[in-house]
Formats: sequence, C-alpha cells, structure tokens
Amino acid sequence: MASDQDLVVETVRDILSGFEPFVLTPERPWDEGLWSALAEAGLTGVGLPEEAGGSGGELADAVAIVRTLASGAAAVPVAEQLLVAGPALVAADLDLPSPEEPLTVAVEGTVAAEPSDDGDGPGRFVLTGTATDVPWAGVARHVAVLATPPAGIEGAVLAVVDASGLTASSAVNLAGEPRGSLVLDGVGVPGALLTPARAATLRARYALTRAVQISAALEQVLAWTVQYAGERQQFGRPLGKFQAIQMELAQMAGEVTSTAALVDAAVQALGRGEDTVVLAAAAAKVRAGEAVERVAKLAHQVHGAIGFTQEYRLHHLTRRCWSWRDEAGTELAWSRTLGAALVAAGPDDVWPAFTAVV
Amino acid sequence: MSSNQLTLAPAPPSEAAERVRLEVREFLAQELAAGTFTTHVDTWLSGVDPEFSRKLGAHGWLGMTWPKEYGGHERTAQERYAVTEELLAAGAPVAAHWIADRQSGPNLLRYGTEAQRKEILPRIAAGECYFVIGMSEPDSGSDLASIRTRGVRNADGDFVVNGAKIWTSNAHHSHYGIVLVRTGPPGEGPRGKHQGLTQLLVDLSLPGISVNPIRILDGGHHFNEVVFTDVVVPGDMLLGTEGAGWHQVTAELAFERSGPERFLSTWPLLAEFGRRAAATGDPAQLAVLGRLSSRALALRQLSLRIAAALDRGELPDIPAALVKDMGTTFEQDVVDEVRRVVDVPASLDSPDPLGRALAEAQLHAPGYTLRGGTNEILKGIVARGLGLR
Ligand SMILES: Cc1cc2nc3c(=O)[nH]c(=O)nc-3n(C[C@H](O)[C@H](O)[C@H](O)COP(=O)(O)OP(=O)(O)OC[C@H]3O[C@@H](n4cnc5c(N)ncnc54)[C@H](O)[C@@H]3O)c2cc1C
Repeated sequence: MASDQDLVVETVRDILSGFEPFVLTPERPWDEGLWSALAEAGLTGVGLPEEAGGSGGELADAVAIVRTLASGAAAVPVAEQLLVAGPALVAADLDLPSPEEPLTVAVEGTVAAEPSDDGDGPGRFVLTGTATDVPWAGVARHVAVLATPPAGIEGAVLAVVDASGLTASSAVNLAGEPRGSLVLDGVGVPGALLTPARAATLRARYALTRAVQISAALEQVLAWTVQYAGERQQFGRPLGKFQAIQMELAQMAGEVTSTAALVDAAVQALGRGEDTVVLAAAAAKVRAGEAVERVAKLAHQVHGAIGFTQEYRLHHLTRRCWSWRDEAGTELAWSRTLGAALVAAGPDDVWPAFTAVV
Repeated sequence: MSSNQLTLAPAPPSEAAERVRLEVREFLAQELAAGTFTTHVDTWLSGVDPEFSRKLGAHGWLGMTWPKEYGGHERTAQERYAVTEELLAAGAPVAAHWIADRQSGPNLLRYGTEAQRKEILPRIAAGECYFVIGMSEPDSGSDLASIRTRGVRNADGDFVVNGAKIWTSNAHHSHYGIVLVRTGPPGEGPRGKHQGLTQLLVDLSLPGISVNPIRILDGGHHFNEVVFTDVVVPGDMLLGTEGAGWHQVTAELAFERSGPERFLSTWPLLAEFGRRAAATGDPAQLAVLGRLSSRALALRQLSLRIAAALDRGELPDIPAALVKDMGTTFEQDVVDEVRRVVDVPASLDSPDPLGRALAEAQLHAPGYTLRGGTNEILKGIVARGLGLR
C-alpha cells in the first residue's frame, strides 16, 4: 500500500476511534457525529475531482477509506458516496451535491423518467414511481436515482434527487442500517441519459462496493477471531491451541485471503477503466457473498455464546456482511450474469472468457 | 502481524504473458483439431505423452524462466504461468514433464552444481528428461521428517541408498528422482528430526532400483513404489548441502503448492459443463457456472500474486499452503456442484462427454487434497501463519 493511503487510513482510524460503533435503532439510524467529523476533514469527497467540488485523490484512496470504515462498522453512507453515486454523477456530467452532505444511490424499484417540459431545457426529467432498497434512505440528503428511460430509448436515466422533502419508509437491513423506499411523485430533477453499458457499470460499481466492504469487514472478523482464540482459555489452554479450532481459523483465512485478492483485482480493473469491470465486479460480489457464509458461521462458532450477544462486537460486522451480500444484486443474480457471460462467446470459449474477466 | 504473511502485492497482467497465452491457445486448438490429444481431467497426473512434451520443448514453453545457458528462455514467471494455465485448461497431456519443469528444474537451478545443471536442465527444457519426487515413504506421509531411507557414505564418498519411496508419480516414465534420504542422525528436541536429511539426485536406471506399480481408483497406473537396495549414488549427485534437505524441501514446496494445477485439475469438467449450460440456458446451471468461476477467479488472483512473489525471490510458503488447501477443495467441489444441476450419470463409458468428465473427476478427486501435502497439514501451516502455533 502506498504511503498516502497509509496516511488516509491513519486519519480515518483516528476519527473513527472517537465514535465507537453502536447498535443502530430506529431512533438512531446512523452516526451523524462521525459523518460530520469525516466531512470536516474532507474525507467525504476523496476520489471525487476537485473541479466537481470533491477533495481529489485516487480511487485507491477512496477504497482505503471505505475499507477502514467498513471494518469499523461505521454507520455512514461514505461507500455509496465515494464509490458509487459520486463517481456516477461526475461521469454523467451532472452537478455533484456538496460532498459535506450525504449522498446515496437508488438502483432498484419502479422509477420512470420522462423528459421535463418545464422549459428548463434538456437535462431535466420528471421522476415517477418508487425507489426501493435505497441505502440510507431518510438519512442521505441527496439520492442518485437510476430510472427507466422514456419509451424507445435504451439504457437508463441517472437523476439527482434532493431527498429532504421526501418521506422514506423506515425499513432496515439485518444490521439495522436504513434501507427504505422513496416515493417519487412526479418530481422534476436534473438528470442525464446513460447508455446501457454505463448503466451496467453503475450497477457493477455498487456491487463491487459492497464486495469491498465485505472483504474489509471479513478481514476484521478474522483478526478478532484469531485474537479471541488466543485469549480465551478452556481445558487449561487457549482455544487456538486446539487443532479443530486451528482448522476453522485456517479455513476462514483462506476465504478472507482469496476474496481479498479478487476484490482487489476487480478494483484495479475499475481503476484502469476496463470494459470487463462488470464481470470482475460480478465475480467479486459472488465470491465475497460466499465468503460471508463460511467466515461468519465459523467466527460465531469460535466465539461461543459471547459472540451471540448484542453486547459483544462481533455482530456489528457479521450482521452487516449478511446484509451486504444480498444488496446491490444478489449472489444468485450476479452468478447468473457471470455464468451467462462466460458462455456468451460460444460453448467452447468458456476458458478464454474466464481469463478475460480480471 | 499475522495478516502480513497472507497479504501479497498485486500482479497485474502483462502483455508478454497475454501474447504467449494466445500462442499456446492456438497451438492447442491445432493439436486438438489434428487429434494428437484428447481432453481429459487431471492430466498433469495422468496424461503422459513424451511426444507432446517434446513439442512443448521445441516451442520454448518448458524451462521458460531459466537462464539461456541452461536451455531456458529467460522469460517471466507470468509468461510461464499463462502457458501452464492454458495447458491445464485444455486438459493436455503434460504429465511426463510436469514435475521436472515445475519443481525439479528450479530446484537444480537453486541448489545444483554447475555440472548437474549443464547436464540436466537443457534436457528438461527440451521436454526429454522427466523427474520424480522421492519424498513419501510407507510410514512417512504427513510426518515427512520421519523418513527411514538412508544414504550412507562409503569409502569413495558415494552414497549407498537403502529404503523405499512410495506414491512416486510417474517413476515408470522418468529418468531422475530427487530423493530425500537420511544421511545423519536426528538432533535433539521436537524439530531435531529435521536435521540429518539430504536430497540426492538419483538416476533411476542405477542398479538396485526397482519400480513397482500401484494402481489408483480408476485402474490407472500413475504412481509407484520405488525400492532402493544398495544403490550406489555417486557423491557428486548430492543436491545442495548435506544435512540441509529439510530446508530445501520446504522451499520446494512453495513452488509445488501454489501453481494453477492446484485449482485447474478439474477445469476440463467445468468447461464441459459450460458447454452444457450454454446449450440449455438453464438459469440454475448458469448460476453454478458463475459461482464456481468466481471461486476460481479468486484463487487465480492469489496464485498469480504468489508466482510474482516467488519471482521476486520471496518465499510465500504460507499463502502457497493456503492456495493449495482452497484450490484442491474447489477442484473437488466442482464435481459436487456440477452433478447437482445436471441429469447426467457419471461413467467412464458414458456416450456423453459430460458424464465421462464427471467420472474422471470423481475417480481422481480423493487425490487432489492429498498429493503435495494434505489439507489438514496445510491448514496447520496457515494456522501457524496466523500465529496460533
Ligand atoms: C495422486 C498422488 C500422487 C502423489 N505423488 C507423490 C510423489 O510423486 N512423490 C511423493 O513423495 N509423494 C507423493 N504422494 C504422497 C503424498 O504426498 C502423501 O499422500 C501425503 O503427504 C499424505 O501422506 P499419507 O498418504 O501417508 O497420509 P497420512 O500422513 O497417513 O495421513 C492420513 C490422514 O491423517 C491426517 N493427518 C496426518 N497427520 C496429521 C496431523 N498432524 N494433524 C492433522 N491431521 C493429520 C492427514 O491429513 C490425512 O487426512 C502422492 C499422493 C497422491 C494421492
């Protein structure tokens, strides 16, 4: 890791240490204090160009921030802002809302976009329908909405919605993170047409972002579990001295390490702007989801009953990972996408297609 | 911290590697079309074809990373990696030269004398000289340091070898073995038995060596018992340092454990399954294909990073153990996952190529997680890397 990234990570860790992760409740759906501290330090604009109002920096810096926050169970929409919605708006030449205010993304639901005839010219659309599974609905000030384009046009419309006047339904994921719906009742908003490829890339970015978060969180879960196995004594010795436990930890390490390698490779493909990034992201998302299955199960097993309590920290990450793997497209959906792509070039070309993914 | 031992620098694809990949791909397509080989599962154990090995040698695809003075081609580890991947994915008959090219050659480069290198490496690179790994014994599998085969120096300084090696892959087709023997007494303490071990370069045509076949589940003859009775191995066939055999073997295992053969042994089955999924368009089959591929892609990224680390002279033995554990588990899972979503009975006589590939993969499957160190032993190494032992 480059030294600027080390510095960024240090800074985020310092800030994070002042905000112990807490259990999310309907009254406290996010960590507003942490957000303000991060925003004040310019960290909510990293990787977004300065011309657009961001703080500049590389994709790798933004990823490093997202990883650090994910492993700290930070309840803030930084991943959505830095890796999904922010870059998508910049790429579509839409105005980026101030990075100091939380921005999220909505890719699911029934939202239809029609060109606006309010006389404001091109680049404005009227959105109608319901955006579902919106991360941080009710928390984020702005939402980048991916909507169905007018009839006869391919691709999608990306529009920026000011959510302050909208009511969000208050659904939450398994970790208590807000994942509500937003009803859009014919609101006129700035937007841009995306080609099918661009729309697919946006969805892929979202999936890859969840994979990045999962990968970071699982690394932390592994570290906690190794540490716990070294401290907790039974039968007169630390758990980690039992061969059965060593096997379980080694299996966790295998899942975590191979997932991290693929997720990292997919992020690099994204950074290089490769066309295969949709498939690389699909693979990373599927792999990360599968790792969650095994790592969370084993981590809870090794932690025994204490890990099953709300007072203990393990669930801050395992519950998030269980949710993140279902979000931004399920593993089933992405594995079908990947499988279909691998056979698309012809029945004998699975191997060449495979080696081209990442 | 423990995680550092598992974190490796990225190895982005190189243009040279992609170029040679396409050359090999084209060569394989031509050979397949000409019918010089047919695709099978696990051919790096079972696909012995000296003619094919010589062709690879003639193309410069063996000994690729070695110095030119030893018949090598001074290409990068990434280029070599691409070549090996293509061969495995196509299920090509590569078993004759596999061990020599992957493991014994690099071992000679590192520890061999100038005479040994000059004599042997060019022949390996030409695809004409094959090697066996002489490590396991009837009573020493996982506990390798407990071997009993002895090498005793005689008055001429030669080693007189007595004992038996077992599970020796392709000894009946090979010219040399790198044989681990005890040449001195073990030391004190739990790691004492690692002392007094030595690697010898043994010409398998020497008098006193007998090679007895052992058949595997499908009846195939790939591995053997090799018995040494008063075999006189010339003193200048010592490999490396007398008594340093354990260290040399450990370093060798990083090469042995991390390559693409640790997750691609059953790729020909997966490719056949891909053909089926393409034909049926069945969403369940496509999902399984995608899911298995995502696992393979992750393993591949890790394995590529290890190759790059080895190229930099690092010894990533812990990640290598991890790749082998995860990779061979994957190879076995391919069989289970595929058979769940196709209605095809596995049989070596099946008229359906998918049924045949399933049968080959299933009958070879128990070997994947044993050869090169069992998964329990590998997990123990990873656990050590995590600081638990
Ligand atoms: C196809 C194939 C090809 C091979 N080719 C070669 C070759 O060319 N040259 C060569 O030298 N060898 C070769 N081998 C041998 C291979 O290296 C050994 O099979 C392997 O090291 C395991 O030894 P073993 O079979 O004696 O099993 P054992 O060591 O007896 O192990 C039996 C079981 O006990 C477990 N076990 C043993 N010790 C422990 C422990 N401390 N903790 C937890 N579990 C433990 C093992 O994991 C395994 O599950 C080959 C094997 C196969 C299957």
